Amino acid sequence: MSRRTYAAVGGVALIVAAALIAASVIGTRGGEPAQADQLSPNDAPALLQGIPQTGPALGRRDAPVTLVEFADPQCPYCAQWSGQAFPELVRDYVRPGKVRIIFAGLAFIGPDSDEALRFALAAGRQGKLWQVMDLLYANQGAENSGWVSQDVLREVGDAVPGLDVERALRETQSQEVESQLAAAKDLQARLGVRSTPAFAASRAGGQLAPVQVTSLDAGGITPSLDRLLAR
Amino acid sequence: MTDRRLRLAVGILSAAGAAVAGYLTYARYTDTTLVCATGGCETVQRSDYALLAGIPVAVLGLGAYLILLGTALSASELARVVGAVVAVSGTLFAAYLLYAQIVVIDAVCQWCVASDVLIALLAVGCSLRLRSG
Repeated sequence: MSRRTYAAVGGVALIVAAALIAASVIGTRGGEPAQADQLSPNDAPALLQGIPQTGPALGRRDAPVTLVEFADPQCPYCAQWSGQAFPELVRDYVRPGKVRIIFAGLAFIGPDSDEALRFALAAGRQGKLWQVMDLLYANQGAENSGWVSQDVLREVGDAVPGLDVERALRETQSQEVESQLAAAKDLQARLGVRSTPAFAASRAGGQLAPVQVTSLDAGGITPSLDRLLAR
Repeated sequence: MTDRRLRLAVGILSAAGAAVAGYLTYARYTDTTLVCATGGCETVQRSDYALLAGIPVAVLGLGAYLILLGTALSASELARVVGAVVAVSGTLFAAYLLYAQIVVIDAVCQWCVASDVLIALLAVGCSLRLRSG
């Protein structure tokens, strides 16, 4: 075949590839976000649809700001923050790729916290931690009453599309879950966290510093995030 | 290499690619958990990158592999040109998706990597077919 045919094939292939990549870029950055204000607490699947989740991390890996959330699954204020502030943060900061949130689970309150936390972290191995946490918050029982039973965990897991519940239950005692629990504890000690929810943030790759929230709605934390983003 | 051998190679690679893309398509529509040694398949498949204008990328991939399989059945110039365009553009797009897996999503899907290798080999095979014409 002639040189001209080669050039034509190469040119058309480049144009097709560029069009595919452009469509993908538009789809991943410019898509309409979920309408967070209209979501009830257990609408996490819609809110989180399409956002990368790796273990305890939610959001793009190259996001300029990292926010660490220290939370206990039995903590009512964590549930309140999850219901009020979290959807707005996801819509305005995580989905557009500005902020990546890392979940640092703590079992401050007691044995039920530990059981719930292990299940959530195990679900994180399947990219489903945030959906599970949302459902655990929505179903919180009386502190350490034994409400985090295997049946409840199965029910929560069954409500998360795509989660292999039996695998998650098996992995609650896995080395990876143990490591994540230990890492959260270390970070908590290093930053002097004494209550939940608590937050720390930094520019990507920078030194984490505690962030004081002024309220449990998004407005209590967004000024701190905006300051970091403006740096 | 003769065009006949290249067509055989393109046919085998396209069939393998169609099997991989077919599995991903099946898993997507039946909500089946993927067999995954790398641990990131679900993360990747449920990310925004797995959809292109509302169409699952796995479906587009399946379509591309079936077109390539079709081009392997013909020795015509049109088949060779279409094969080269589809395979080369597919390889460039696959490279972009691999970048997204590593840099943005922070998870790697083994099935996507298998498909990346197959489409890259197909790009070589289909380009050689242009020369053999």
